[in-house]
Amino acid sequence: MIGKLNQSEQVLLETLQKTGADELAADFAKTGLPTRRNEAYHYSDLKMLLGDVPDLTTGAISTSVPLLNIEGAYRILIVNGEVQISDEPPTGVIVSTSRGGVVEPENDIVAQLNSALTKETLNIDLQGTVETIIHIDRRYEGEASHINDGVELYILDGSNATIIESFSGSNEAHLSNSASKVILGRDAKVTHIMVDLSGGRVRHLQSVQYEINESALLHSLIIHKGSALARTQLFAKFIGENAHADFAGLILGAKEQHSDISINIEHNVANTTSSENYKSVVLDKAKAIFQGKILVARDAQKTDAAMKHQGLMLSDDAQILVKPELEIYADDVICGHGATCGQIDMDSLFYLMSRGIEKEQAKSMLIRAFLAELFDEIKIEALKEALISVADEWLEV
Amino acid sequence: MAGAKENIDRDTIEQVEQIDVEKYKYGFATDIKSDKSPIGLSEDIVRFISAKKNEPEWMLKWRLDAYERWLTMKEPNWAKLNYPKIDLNEIYFYAAPKSTPGPKSLDEVDPELLETYKKLGIPLLEQAVLAGVEGAKIAVDAVFDSVSVVTTFREELAKSGIIFCSISEAIKEHPELIKKYLATVVPVTDNYYSTLNCAVFTDGSFVYIPKGVRCPMELSTYFRINEINTGQFERTLIIAEEDSYVSYLEGCTAPMRDENQLHAAVVELVAHKNAEIKYSTVQNWYPGNKEGKGGIYNFVTKRGDCRGDNSKISWTQVETGSAITWKYPSCILRGDGSRGEFYSIAISNNYQQIDSGTKMIHLGKNTSSKVISKGIAAGFSDNTYRGLISAHKKATNARNFTQCDSLLIGDKCGAHTVPYIEAKNASVVFEHEATTSKISDEQLFYCQQRGLNAEEAVALIVNGFVRDVIQNLPMEFMVETQKLINISLEGSVG
Repeated sequence: MIGKLNQSEQVLLETLQKTGADELAADFAKTGLPTRRNEAYHYSDLKMLLGDVPDLTTGAISTSVPLLNIEGAYRILIVNGEVQISDEPPTGVIVSTSRGGVVEPENDIVAQLNSALTKETLNIDLQGTVETIIHIDRRYEGEASHINDGVELYILDGSNATIIESFSGSNEAHLSNSASKVILGRDAKVTHIMVDLSGGRVRHLQSVQYEINESALLHSLIIHKGSALARTQLFAKFIGENAHADFAGLILGAKEQHSDISINIEHNVANTTSSENYKSVVLDKAKAIFQGKILVARDAQKTDAAMKHQGLMLSDDAQILVKPELEIYADDVICGHGATCGQIDMDSLFYLMSRGIEKEQAKSMLIRAFLAELFDEIKIEALKEALISVADEWLEV
Repeated sequence: MAGAKENIDRDTIEQVEQIDVEKYKYGFATDIKSDKSPIGLSEDIVRFISAKKNEPEWMLKWRLDAYERWLTMKEPNWAKLNYPKIDLNEIYFYAAPKSTPGPKSLDEVDPELLETYKKLGIPLLEQAVLAGVEGAKIAVDAVFDSVSVVTTFREELAKSGIIFCSISEAIKEHPELIKKYLATVVPVTDNYYSTLNCAVFTDGSFVYIPKGVRCPMELSTYFRINEINTGQFERTLIIAEEDSYVSYLEGCTAPMRDENQLHAAVVELVAHKNAEIKYSTVQNWYPGNKEGKGGIYNFVTKRGDCRGDNSKISWTQVETGSAITWKYPSCILRGDGSRGEFYSIAISNNYQQIDSGTKMIHLGKNTSSKVISKGIAAGFSDNTYRGLISAHKKATNARNFTQCDSLLIGDKCGAHTVPYIEAKNASVVFEHEATTSKISDEQLFYCQQRGLNAEEAVALIVNGFVRDVIQNLPMEFMVETQKLINISLEGSVG
């Protein structure tokens, strides 16, 4: 039984009605925001957590200093939902925009809200071997507002590309709901990275959808550093055989941040493999959540999937909440998951200190070592350095 | 020693021989006139049950309060289970065997009943064998369709101050203990099925181990659902005072039936300072036939409370029967340094559905828990492990190790793992591992090449897969379990 809508749900409902999304509005009036009774939001009760919903954004305004600079990257800005293309794209990159949203709803209200409220979507087609890193700089600027934006990336058959999306902007109480859809053609090789660097008052919701075709190779990395409330939900579908995907992620949580990465991986066809490797480091009163679900369909024989979450707790007031799920219907598969949770190893700390290293420095060395594995996979040096510096800045604060 | 071993070996051989003939070994019904309540559920039925049991007024009030609360509750639907809605108005909530006034010895017990036990292989008259094995005796508080019919060894237990009787007796004779402990581990309003149980429970066991006593024998209860359409609502309460120890065995078999039978038991364990309770279950109720028709619906709430420091509760379960299993034996680790353990084997075949697991709730300092779960799915069945490991803010140095492995036999079944891990302070160390795989062709080939047929080979490999858990069972359950595994997986290969 759903109780009556609270204030933020009321505002969302009115917003939907104003934009003419009548059907969704009618549904939303019945269901409201997901609560912990909704299994996918078990640890992120949006009805309770979301808070005030500001007015819909009025569009692009001047932007703040970029928080992430990647040397030699081709940058496209999306400011408050408006796509701004200034430079000529490199060879093999076709940039355009389309009206409306991008992700298929998956029966998820956050994704549905994004689809209904996004006005303009950035479309990028990538063909051939694209050496230049594509940097999609998504900004939430100005006064607190409610912003929806979308990106669709299509990596054509046999193409290679590296794409990074960053989220940042003014430190106001924005509600940003962003979506990305990435389609990997046959034999496509893609590195796709998303970094949330939003200000400490932002509520950032994100839906990512992957479609992985035959023999494609995906490396996906999500980093959560900013936002008061950050939630990324990832939906990946294997639709062609012999494909492989590495999913990785990192939550850096401090203060009273609530940071949630929830992934849904569907192995729908035979002979596909995946690895899921996620880490959380929490300080202060931060809360890190990882929900992972691997589904292996009846026909997806010979699937090999290994999921892992490792949590590092640096404060007694912090929390790590983990739910790694397996749902398996095929018998000839190898699936496993592991989850660990603990603090810095005292023996290692003692060892370093006995070598004359200050405690704080020794601690940060050990945390760096804990995180190193996630960045080692990134082959492009400039990108790797940029990401390591994101983590380093966090460690220094 | 040797005699016992021979006996077991012979038994095993017989078992194997019977496999082809008897699909469900324990599928038979005993015809004893039973004393039934009117069909359905209402406040009057609650009064009827309470009156039948000659319960004191406070107990009736307690039941009625529970019934009131239950009326406002909804059936949970979060489990990965599919079953038609249970019509409680089609169920008899009370059925007692025709009463023979207070049997003094086994001779006075209805011979037909004894015959049933004989078929079940309950070791009422096999004390010699068992004594030969462990030098221990087994006291059997036999429950036949909700009413305790015979209790043996009570006197010997009484010498050590142990109370082992039916819960209805305890309500009359030890009201102070019942009032103090009943529903303190599983609150009256805990969940839909446990609240229903509070209102209509008919019988069950009560065990009280006084301070400093190590229970001299393994306590054992055999439950059996016998009457057509009687839901069985058992209530068990075990209290272990400071420095005491008890091992409790529960084994279940039921006759073959077409209708779905509902079973909603509640088991509560309380362990005080330095006490240890070991609770073992072998559940082999009728799982339904090959087409998934019939079978028991098993919705059980089992929870142990490690109330005192350094106390320990250990659950071991072997689940091979029932059409639907919904069961999460849990430990509340309240006392500092308390320990919880959960060892489980869950086997599903044909159209069985199992959603089972455990909850380890770390509240005290330096608490530790261990979870080993082995799920085996065959046929068209679905087998889910669902568990919660949580450490609260004050549970410093909480430690957990969880391993849940699933084995799939055939490509029409499903194995699922849904663990929840919640760490709320920094000193927690949690480790969780899960794997899902099938029996490898190499293993099968190797065994078959050595002369085993496919079915024997699977049984052998599965027995190896569940070894970690079987080793935690008391001797006589260990033997029974190995047999059960073979029977349960019948027809799953080839």
